[in-house]
Amino acid sequence: MEEGLLVRKIDWGTVIDHIPAWRADRVMRLIDADQLVRDPEVSVIVLKNVPSRKYGRKDVIKLYHHFMSKTDAALVKLIFPTVTVNYIREWKVEKYSPELPEVIEGKVRCPELTCISNSKRDPVVRRFRVMKEDGYIQCYYCDAIVEFSSIPDLIAV
Amino acid sequence: MGESLVSLKGMDVVSAKDFTRPLVEKVFEVSDEVLRSPEKFRDSLAGKRVALLFVEPSTRTYSSFHVAARRMGADVLPLVDPEMTSLAKGESLYDTLKMIEGYGVDCIVMRHPARGAAKYAADVVKVPVINAGSGSQEHPTQSLLDAYTIVRKRGSVDGLTIGFLGDLRFSRTVPSLVYTLALFEGVTMYFIAPSALQIRPEVELHLRKRGIRYSRVEKQSEISKAVAELDVLYVTRLQKERFPDPSEYERLRGSYRVDMEFLSNAKPTLGVMHPLPRVDELDPEVDATPHAWYFEQASYGLPVRMALYHLILGD
Repeated sequence: MEEGLLVRKIDWGTVIDHIPAWRADRVMRLIDADQLVRDPEVSVIVLKNVPSRKYGRKDVIKLYHHFMSKTDAALVKLIFPTVTVNYIREWKVEKYSPELPEVIEGKVRCPELTCISNSKRDPVVRRFRVMKEDGYIQCYYCDAIVEFSSIPDLIAV
Repeated sequence: MGESLVSLKGMDVVSAKDFTRPLVEKVFEVSDEVLRSPEKFRDSLAGKRVALLFVEPSTRTYSSFHVAARRMGADVLPLVDPEMTSLAKGESLYDTLKMIEGYGVDCIVMRHPARGAAKYAADVVKVPVINAGSGSQEHPTQSLLDAYTIVRKRGSVDGLTIGFLGDLRFSRTVPSLVYTLALFEGVTMYFIAPSALQIRPEVELHLRKRGIRYSRVEKQSEISKAVAELDVLYVTRLQKERFPDPSEYERLRGSYRVDMEFLSNAKPTLGVMHPLPRVDELDPEVDATPHAWYFEQASYGLPVRMALYHLILGD
């Protein structure tokens, strides 16, 4: 069963494919999908645990009439390396391979409540260094480390 | 390594992770010189202005930075108490730092309760920032005087087995000292603490990446065996408020109290260190024994900070 049979093709938008089965919610958090409701033209279609030739089962997210930012694409790829991102323009599929980021800025908050980057008084830009080979990101300011898999819990809103 | 290759001129001292062995040895070399011939450094900071921004209480660190700067001929701008600074009125750290920089200071020594505050400050101002304590994150100048103490007492840090005891999670001196000691060869570290107060994950990761031998000692029954192997024991205070369950604190405190019984299996040459102030985790009965290094350790606060000032700001 192809997902095409479940959901029709879209004219433009983003398909986030090969998400590990049942992990779509984590990706939704990462891309702050709740923000998308502000745009009345956007629909979000989430497919969970659909068959995949490559991985057996997978999740897929379609962002109808929304292009996911390349920064978000890179963040998703960091946490779920199997993910592929396709931008759809006029029904045509463009495969996009995100570069893994060296630094993550703004998006993720430090888990240490006493970190200066969580200060309400100071306009500190949140920043993490990506330690690819170790599987962690590290706060540029206070050195706290976060496993890749925990990043979706720390998306700043 | 040749002298000219190591320069701290204009450098920030934010984290002990930024130290290198030649840099640390340079600081020790100048500290030796300060102890030998203090008069040589009398005018080393003449015409320089040093701001001391202490947004958290401090006695030893503040006074040693203050006295060191004065002895070297610097003007000192003390901003010591949050009540006295406009930070208490709700000013951002950014604005406070910009204001201090606007006074034309040559260096800012800062203690702040937020982790990462020193890194942030170093990015905000152009002049060197010396981290005198950034929340529970680090206290890099303390680690220099701690490591200097070990070198003075034992000749070198290489090959030593060093134990850290007590609250390793919230102590700012421990991460800095671990990073500093990790620069030496053949060092082994024991982290003796209940699991809730164990060494922080980023510190452990730092050691793993560098292949430093270490182990965590969490069971009360294993403490004595670990202590028997140590050349140096670095004691920090267990604080009741750090325990989720106060009865846990009552149950454990005795095991982390250093007295003659605690040291009964220790090597005769074991040195006991403590960043001070101590409360009841280190019994005064240890003071009269050769194990007690902590007062000598405290006495190096001044020369090591003079050496740092000299290397960063001196001509």
